[in-house]
Amino acid sequence: MNDSPATKARGKSPWFFAGLMFAAYGVVAALATTGAIEGPAIYILIIAPFGLVFPMLNAANRRIDSGGAACFGKGQAQRRYKKRVAISTSLYLIAIGLMTFVNKESDPSIAIRTLLAVLPGLAIIGMFWAMGRLIVEEQDEFMRMLVIRQSLIATGFTLNAASVWGFLESADLILHADAYWWAIVWFFGIGVGAVVNRVQYGTWGAV
Amino acid sequence: MKNRLKVLRAERSWSQQDLADRLEVSRQSVNAIETGKYDPSLPLAFRIAETFDMSIEEIFLRK
Repeated sequence: MNDSPATKARGKSPWFFAGLMFAAYGVVAALATTGAIEGPAIYILIIAPFGLVFPMLNAANRRIDSGGAACFGKGQAQRRYKKRVAISTSLYLIAIGLMTFVNKESDPSIAIRTLLAVLPGLAIIGMFWAMGRLIVEEQDEFMRMLVIRQSLIATGFTLNAASVWGFLESADLILHADAYWWAIVWFFGIGVGAVVNRVQYGTWGAV
Repeated sequence: MKNRLKVLRAERSWSQQDLADRLEVSRQSVNAIETGKYDPSLPLAFRIAETFDMSIEEIFLRK
């Protein structure tokens, strides 16, 4: 199959790099499960495939520049947002890997354990900050409205889920959930908000 | 709110992207305004009116 000149200019699809990243994680999981790799090698190999996020973002930006991918947000603010989220996510994975590795391989002091436990939280704060900056920096009022809607949907979704879960937990009807899970639920809510935007306005907002 | 954006754009043979570039907004914004899914702010409505060299009332109509 021959690619058209336009397709060549747009380069590989961002989904190609996403697929490659998930395939790499599949291989790492298989190697770890079978015992082919163990110890620090697992942590390094868990972090390494995430580097594919950067060519994936570049591929997405190329698509945007070439006029395709109508579902993706456009503009400098969206680009900065994607870059900030990619950096925060990378730092989060590194912090989680470091915390798990140090706690497993040694018996660190309370100060070191505290520092290592705070690092992933700071990386997640970086993602919230990126969303806040996107709302401030987005010059396109329609796109800004979509991002605000997404954030409100995510916040409502998370607070509702946390309220119900909390009371069920108090009544010993459900397992304990560590508080950081609500940040993860919020990010899931952002995805739900993007789908709601797509249905109502025909475009996703921030994805 | 109804509007005549699609007709005005067609009269000038502009694509949604052409109009978006003139207004310095995304093509998605033009599409949302054109289909009545999103009502623009007053500053953007003025920019649209200036782009077509018309008044706001000539472009946006009450339902």
